[in-house]
Amino acid sequence: MASPHDETEPQEIADFRSEVRAWIAANAPGDPGFKLPQSFLEVESQQQFEYLLAWQQKVYAAGYLGLDWPAEYGGKGRPGLQRIVSQEMGRAGTPFFVNTIGLQWAGPTILHYGTEAQKKRYLEPILSGAEIWCQGFSEPGSGSDLASVTTSAVRSGDDWLVNGHKVWTTLGQQAKWMILLARTDPSVGKYDGLSYFLLPMDAPGVTVQPLVKMSGEGGFNQVIFEDVPMPGDALLGELGQGWQVAMTTLTHERGAAEGSGGGQLGGGSESVRALVALAKGVRRDGAPAAADPVLRDRIADLWIREEALRLGGLRGRVPALCGDRPMALALMNKVVFSELAQEIADVACQLEGPAAQLYVGDPDAPDHAEWPRAYLNSFGMTIGGGTSEIQRNILGERVLGLPKSK
Amino acid sequence: MKTLDLPRDFGFDEEHELLRDSARSFLQERCPVSEVRRLLDDPVGHDAGLWKEMAALGWTGIAIAEAHGGAQLGALHLALLLEEMGRVVLPSPFLATTLAGVALGHAEGADWLPGVASGDVLATLAFAEPDGSWEPDPVAATAERGEGGFVLRGTKAFVPAAPSADLVIAPFRCADDEIALFAVALPQSGVEITPEVGIDPTRRSGRIVFDGTRVAASARLPGDGAEALCAAFRMGWAGLAAEAVGGAETTLGLTRDYAIERTQFGRQIGSFQAVKHPIVNVMIATEQARTLAYAAAAALDHAPAGSEVPCRMAKAAASDAYHFAGNRAVQFHGGYGFTWDCDAHLHVKRALWNRATLGDPTHHRRHLAHALLGESGSP
Repeated sequence: MASPHDETEPQEIADFRSEVRAWIAANAPGDPGFKLPQSFLEVESQQQFEYLLAWQQKVYAAGYLGLDWPAEYGGKGRPGLQRIVSQEMGRAGTPFFVNTIGLQWAGPTILHYGTEAQKKRYLEPILSGAEIWCQGFSEPGSGSDLASVTTSAVRSGDDWLVNGHKVWTTLGQQAKWMILLARTDPSVGKYDGLSYFLLPMDAPGVTVQPLVKMSGEGGFNQVIFEDVPMPGDALLGELGQGWQVAMTTLTHERGAAEGSGGGQLGGGSESVRALVALAKGVRRDGAPAAADPVLRDRIADLWIREEALRLGGLRGRVPALCGDRPMALALMNKVVFSELAQEIADVACQLEGPAAQLYVGDPDAPDHAEWPRAYLNSFGMTIGGGTSEIQRNILGERVLGLPKSK
Repeated sequence: MKTLDLPRDFGFDEEHELLRDSARSFLQERCPVSEVRRLLDDPVGHDAGLWKEMAALGWTGIAIAEAHGGAQLGALHLALLLEEMGRVVLPSPFLATTLAGVALGHAEGADWLPGVASGDVLATLAFAEPDGSWEPDPVAATAERGEGGFVLRGTKAFVPAAPSADLVIAPFRCADDEIALFAVALPQSGVEITPEVGIDPTRRSGRIVFDGTRVAASARLPGDGAEALCAAFRMGWAGLAAEAVGGAETTLGLTRDYAIERTQFGRQIGSFQAVKHPIVNVMIATEQARTLAYAAAAALDHAPAGSEVPCRMAKAAASDAYHFAGNRAVQFHGGYGFTWDCDAHLHVKRALWNRATLGDPTHHRRHLAHALLGESGSP
């Protein structure tokens, strides 16, 4: 179901797919013997980080990362093929790439707005995993109202001086670089006063403090800047263009644009396929869970929506079949994907019944409590990158032309 | 859970685009909402002149083989056409006669096909029993061998376009317990047709009683009746889904426009998230249903053996989406939405009719769960 290839696929693509599939079969990493994070959002130990980094390095060395990116920046210059790798890795259930923020958010933004020198400097180490990236957008007082950020970058000679406070910083402890949205001119309108920077996380005055998630896992941080010096060439795009650049990043983050260096949206393992396997393996009220008529109805409903999402990916590539509103499918993607994943995890917990009361660490927790943990972690996707509510504002205003919510 | 292998572009090409564009402009010109409203009170319920024009465009033969006078176009053509018909809430026996044509084609009813293809014979498929059952094998009506032919007994209800049909295709249980399709020209002695008062006045339906009706041996179609019915059902699910998507699209547009035009508390009501977000949810549901409707049609065209699942998915998703769109349309039009003058009710009624025809979402999800999880009780 997750492998939408077909007989009409061009030979070149089909050959590449077979090659990737064979490579994965020979090289996919085995069970590490310790708990892996469910996505790049929950990398908490050095052991997890190194395992995942080694996988990314191996894939890059084999030539399966950066396929869509130009060769002069470390890519392969074969646009369209990265998607095939993502599909095959999704099908095989290989681990995610730890540098997801670099590959999927920062990289495409740098490709779009970067100077030649910036593209040469930053892109290759994103693919190789040599330099990990984090994102500095949200602040304690600026969540859904992202344009209200107050972290400031002030000119200091040729350089910049940064002060402020960013939160929900995934991979903050491992990151070498941060994509930073900061206020450079408080005297103009809130959108116009923002600029976008590539900040070195090892600069003096940067403090990274870990936060614990509701799942009990780490991977989350807050970052405090106290007179952090940043070189003049850290600016990405024009001065005052930060909002526009940040929107490009968010478009990629929401899976509404192509051009990622590699990896899949989200990265969780929530799928109807997994739900079916679970339903067939557990009992409820003395009978097989798969026989419960109410749960059967819900699982069928989730299957319909999962197929609509997958097939929508195909339809989105046929402009003539998207005539009523060309941007709808792409902009819907994030809210549909994240809410579906959450519901799948929720139904899985219901299928498990009382066993879903057990959590990570209990020897009797089924699958080390993967499903309860997935449910808790699923909020990372419905909140991060713009909440579902903000997504619905965007869809209503930009796709349907409804008036702004003030 | 096998992957359905569909062409990446769903098989859509310039011919499809041409049909869709010409259908859209034709239907918008020939069937504005004023015409729909005129036909609400019409005794027949559809415009005979428009029917002739549609037949002249080749639409009545769209799913019929060229050898039998049809255009032999695919399911995606049909889906795109029905989507356009759904947009204007076209009052027409088109779907009824098209599905009868599909059943005739599969049951080797070649003699009848040229008339159906040309639009001269208005056919219908009487698939439901009076208790509403229709799938998989509830046929209670019987056909007994009689002098030189058969004697038909039983009642078919909820028969679309029954009051104006020239030909009814209906399943009967034969002596060998086999289900066979019979083609019965109307009117006919021993066949009584009672029009039903339907919730959707843009659809006309009726109850057909076969009271010892004597028909010739040739009335029994030679092909496998159950198989022919299933083929018509699959096309019906995809077709009804496409039509519902068209209706949901128009309904969404009505609600969107009103949310922009109407002000309360000094603001456009569409700026309130309590209004805006549900409208977005209607859009999401409609887009998902549209994807599935096209995929179902593409499956019928390119992967027919695996088409049951996508056709059921499309019917379930589109029935829900259209109903949801109509429900929110009435609510967000406020007091005006509750009136006969507001067009929202045309869609609410069409959506209720569509949802109940050929299986509602619960029915299809039950079958989908069966495909996914095995039989209930023995996973």
